Amino acid sequence: MSAPIVRLDHIRVGEDAAILEDIDLEVHAGHFLGIVGPNGAGKSTLLSVITGLISPSAGHIDLFGRCLGRLNRRRLLRQVGYLSQMHAHEDHLPLRVACVVRMGLAGYDAPLWRRTRDTDQIAEALEAVGMLKHAQTDFRLLSGGQKQRVRVARALVRRPKLLLLDEPSAAMDAPGQEKLYQLLRGLCEERGMSVIMVDHDVAAISAYVDSVACLNKRIHYHAIKGERIPDTIWKHMYGEHVHMVRHDSHCIGCGPEGKRA
Amino acid sequence: MMDFLASPVMLAALLPAMLIAMISAAMSVMVVAHRLSFLTVGVSHATLAGLGLAVFFALPLLPTATMAAIAVALLLAAMPRRSGIGEDVGTGLLFAGAMALGVLLISSADKYDVDLFGMLFGNILTVSQDDIRWLWLTAAVVCIGMLFAARAWWMIAFDAATASAGGVPVRLYRGLLYTVVALTVIMCVKLAGIVLTTGLLVLPAACAWFWGRSPVVLWLLSSIFALAGTLAGLMISYHHDLPSGASVVITLCMIFALSWSVAWLKQRAL
Repeated sequence: MSAPIVRLDHIRVGEDAAILEDIDLEVHAGHFLGIVGPNGAGKSTLLSVITGLISPSAGHIDLFGRCLGRLNRRRLLRQVGYLSQMHAHEDHLPLRVACVVRMGLAGYDAPLWRRTRDTDQIAEALEAVGMLKHAQTDFRLLSGGQKQRVRVARALVRRPKLLLLDEPSAAMDAPGQEKLYQLLRGLCEERGMSVIMVDHDVAAISAYVDSVACLNKRIHYHAIKGERIPDTIWKHMYGEHVHMVRHDSHCIGCGPEGKRA
Repeated sequence: MMDFLASPVMLAALLPAMLIAMISAAMSVMVVAHRLSFLTVGVSHATLAGLGLAVFFALPLLPTATMAAIAVALLLAAMPRRSGIGEDVGTGLLFAGAMALGVLLISSADKYDVDLFGMLFGNILTVSQDDIRWLWLTAAVVCIGMLFAARAWWMIAFDAATASAGGVPVRLYRGLLYTVVALTVIMCVKLAGIVLTTGLLVLPAACAWFWGRSPVVLWLLSSIFALAGTLAGLMISYHHDLPSGASVVITLCMIFALSWSVAWLKQRAL
């Protein structure tokens, strides 16, 4: 069996009050992993650790079979597409959608004398998220859901081997969410791309992912496709007052007001 | 117009002024994209500390001011991360501190032959051959920095976290950006002075922001606005015997007001 695309070995973040502790995880080529957990569980931190944005206080990270170190970080991360949860400054820049997506091309940061225009790749990424007709639109004028689709296209445009998505369906309508999950499933199957996606809605993603990791500081349970996550795990992650609701064959944790956890 | 071009003083000032306009226009797009307007205020005022050091210790003026500006810019790049205080607080602190140091050093010097009014408000008409050589050297360094890092700077301006996650060394490029901004500030001080330099580093891009929708167009428009504003400003300065730096900045302000009005009317018409 080939080396995993991502291998996390006893990862710990934080010293006294750990944000993540004892995280062991392997993701192979073509695998679609969903990560669920309550707010503050360390889901985004886990993605930041994989991309080297946060250095773990203990443990070891391998990407594409190589140790993620200072010297090879740049080369390894060129094969990674990433969608962050934070979008603080982007509305300040007057850029067309195509320009925004172009910034996601691997090697876009090369000096100006190197050609990086690849209109086919940009059109392909925009087409995949259903935003090709908006390629010349001012990014600032798009709705929240449309902006999120463009961000996904920016993560896809470099044709990464590993895609890390932090709540990609945020601000998207239900059909948009479903199309996104279908697209990601297709990329895993057709291109062998590995996807790690943080999401809150386990019911929505369970039909598409290969496995779901339940995270709250540490991975409490790693369920494979079709497997029911035990009620005790949900209660352990979200608290004793969580009511359990069945949806198809899946289990969804609900808060006292009936909100999905 | 012909009077203006026939004047040997104006003709000598025109080339360095246009060079400064081109470089400041290119960098102003990055200054506005990265929201570094206040940084340019801090760095330009910090040059007074450099001037103070040059006067007090009898050092060469422009190189000392350049070193002081770069040092302050790099301190500002590192300060927020290291100290946990905001960049605006750091800028205000260094701006006031450097200004005070400059004033103390200059007033303590036995004698000095620095044109302080020219340094504060700019005077491109008194540019010397040494100044021109220094301007060309600085312009070359800024151009190389831009050719090398412009795309990475755009990525960082748009989304620094994603850029970093994609392997872009954000801290390195940010340090380079602050250094190049500091060099551009030093160039602009010759034309607009310490007090008015921010105008040259903000206004051309601010005008372009209404019309450009891609990095290349923003740079082109910013350059056109900067060249037009500088030429018109110098002509106004010549014909009405006004300070050149202030004339250029006020012309750019008028172009900004015009751009804003036209964009607002266009938006209302839609």
